[in-house]
Order: sequence, then structure tokens, then C-alpha cells
Amino acid sequence: MLGSNRPPLSSKTYDVEDFAAAQELFHSSGWTDGLPVVPPTEVAVEACLEWALMPPDQLIGIEPVRAQPITAEKLAINAVMAGCLPMHFPIVATAWQAMMKDEFLLHGVTSSTGGCAILVIINGPVRLEIGANATFNALGNSDRATSAIGRAIRLALINLMDVRPGGIDRTTLGHPGKFSYCLAEDEEGTDWQPLSVMRGIPQGLSAVTVMAALAPRQIMNEWTTDPKEILETFAAEMRANQRHYSIYGGNYAIVIPKQLRDIIQAAGWTKRDVAEFIYERARVRRGEWADVGKGAIVRDRPNKVHTALESPDHLLVVAAGGPAGGFGAVIPPWMGSKTKAVTAAIGACVDCEPPKS
Amino acid sequence: MIVRVLDPTHELKAAGVQPAVRPSSLKGKTVGFISNGKEGTKGYFMQLERMLREDLGVADVIWRTKSNYSAPADAHIIDQARQWHAAVTGVGD
Repeated sequence: MLGSNRPPLSSKTYDVEDFAAAQELFHSSGWTDGLPVVPPTEVAVEACLEWALMPPDQLIGIEPVRAQPITAEKLAINAVMAGCLPMHFPIVATAWQAMMKDEFLLHGVTSSTGGCAILVIINGPVRLEIGANATFNALGNSDRATSAIGRAIRLALINLMDVRPGGIDRTTLGHPGKFSYCLAEDEEGTDWQPLSVMRGIPQGLSAVTVMAALAPRQIMNEWTTDPKEILETFAAEMRANQRHYSIYGGNYAIVIPKQLRDIIQAAGWTKRDVAEFIYERARVRRGEWADVGKGAIVRDRPNKVHTALESPDHLLVVAAGGPAGGFGAVIPPWMGSKTKAVTAAIGACVDCEPPKS
Repeated sequence: MIVRVLDPTHELKAAGVQPAVRPSSLKGKTVGFISNGKEGTKGYFMQLERMLREDLGVADVIWRTKSNYSAPADAHIIDQARQWHAAVTGVGD
């Protein structure tokens, strides 16, 4: 416990008359996403830092392109604004640590005309502690925790990286996930390994995976009990994205709901089996661009095959969604493999060197 | 009731990056272009090269292209840029 020895907060303060005045201050200053915010008071911010056992000046990381330092205090202010409870803050902080890895390419992801959002996927015991709902409406307004955590990511981008529309954010269209884009995996509703474990985090640890993600493309197939037919529908949606958005391979996520998952699992398929099948099926010939109005860039390579995934490992298979309905989702990446999804453990370092004796 | 709230921005606490010193004239100087590699940069930089040479007397224009249009310039380009008097870079889409 840092307790009374904690260094004081160093952010500039503003005195406003009431809640409404706070809203006007934040909106007129360009500090919000257009929705009301929770006024970030010292008490609320201190509570976040206390929960995470972080001093205010703890460096969460340095954004590698613009060399912008992100401190715990500033991140906590934005988390409070988003509606986060103190118990949500370690997830926000870990997500930001993951976002600042070189391979995530945060600057490109947040400045591109391509218009992606940052998807946060939560695994491990922390999901239950914070009351994250991985079932009904998993990709929508499913619960307080994921809604607030996803929003905290965006508010911090706005205020700490100047990612405002027309500023650093040059996005042409964007999508609603830029308000909040966070879901938990339904680990209790599947026999499959959690996404975090598939990506190298030890079983039993909590973790977040961040991905530069387009809007979910929803699919439906309720008319078969053949895993291959179900997964063919997902692969077809990925092929459509390759033709219509970007042909290049990268980290795709697919969200498989319980009704479809039960069929696939009963047939003995693991997540790895799913990924290998999708890898083989989600691919298009460059010449297919000509079918969708992009003939000008086929050039002399109409038969070149482009896979949606560089390898099966690049597919993020997520178990989530309500108990009924054959509705799944394909979540495409921003611009192929220029960005990589990153998974990080919450409150643990799984690749640190052991202390030297 | 007065509510005291905290500033959510970085408060300009950016790392110590300073703009390069601007040359007083480009006459006889070497100017580098760092393209992001997108199609739209070609016409822009071709026209800019013509203007720099004809209107401002630039002696040499060097073109370089980043390997990833969304990432910083590659290290070897940055090394070469140290020999230039000025560089032009930016977004071309």
C-alpha cells in the first residue's frame, strides 16, 4: 500500500460550480467523445491509483512514434471520465501498455484514414471480478465494465495522444467501436482454451488482447450441424472483406456464439482446428478485385493468391455471445499486417527475466 | 457546490522533440523528400521538385520512400537525412 506516502497529483485543476458546469468545461475544451463524462476529481483518481498500487507519476509507457509519455495519473483521469471503477483501471493500464508495443503501431492505427478502433478482449479471473458479461449482446452495451473500459481507451487517446477527429485522427468514416470496443471471452461457456492462453499467457492469469479492428461484420448460419459449413460462412465474410476493404492478411478476430460453438466443439474441433480451417478457406485471388470495381489495381497478377491470415496463429478465436442464435462476427484488422494484435497479462510479467542471484 | 476537476490532457508534457533549424534560403541546398509510398505522393513531389529547383534554386532533390506508410521513416533514411539541408515529408493518400 502506498497510502499517505503517495506523491501528490500534479495535473492542473479547475474549479467549476457544479456537474453541469463540468460538462461544459470538458466539452468546450475538446476533452470528450461527445458524451457526458464523470468529472475526474482527486478522490476518484486517487482511488484508481490506489487500487492498481501505482504512484501518479508511474510511467505506463512511451508511445514509440511521437515519444509521448503516458503516466498512471493521466490515464486514471481519463478512466474516471469514462465511468471506470477503480477495479477497472488495471485493465485500462495494461491495455495501454500493450498498445504502446512497437508491433501494435499505435500512431498508424489511430491516425489512418482507414478508420479502425482499438478492440480490447479480456480474459481470465478479472472478468468475473469486474462483472464483465460475455454472453448477451457481447459486442454491444453488454455491461458496465466493458463499456467503461473501452471508452477509457478512446478518451485517453483523445486527451493524451491528441487523437481528435481532424487532428491526429484523419479517419474518413470510423465506426461506432470508436466510442467503446471491449468484450470479455465466455470462458465458462466453452471447453476451448481462452484466447490469452492461445497467445502464450499462462492459464489462470488475467490478460487483455488489443487489436486494431474494423467494425464487426455479422454472419448467420442456423441451418447446419456441420462445423465446416458453419466456419465456411465465417471464411466467406473474411473473403468479402478482402475483396471490398483490404486484400492483405493480418489479425482477424472471429466471435463464435454458444449455439454455433456447441456444434463445433461437439464435433471435437479445437480453436486450433478452427484457425487452420479458416486459414485454408479465407483467401482470394487478386483478380477478384476486378469483380468489385477494383480492376485497376489487379495489374499483371490476377492469379496471385492472398490469404486473409498470414498463418493460422493470426486468427483470434473468441467465444462470446448470448446462449441462443447462430449469429457470429468477423472482425477484420486495420490494413493487413501493418499492425499486430498484442496480448499482455494484467498485474504480472510473464516474460521478465528471473532476478539474478 | 464547487467541484474541483483534473485536467485530462498531457498538458504539453511531450518528450523533448524540437523542430529543426530552418535554413534562411534553399538556394544551392540539398532537399530530401520522404514519401510514405502511396500513389498520391508521386505527383505532389514531382511538382514540388520542379518548384524547388526552378523557383528557389535548390541544387539537389533526393527521393526516399518509407517501407511502411504508417510507421516512422526507416533508420537508414534518417541517417541519410542528416546530410540534407531540409526534408519534406507528410501524408500523401
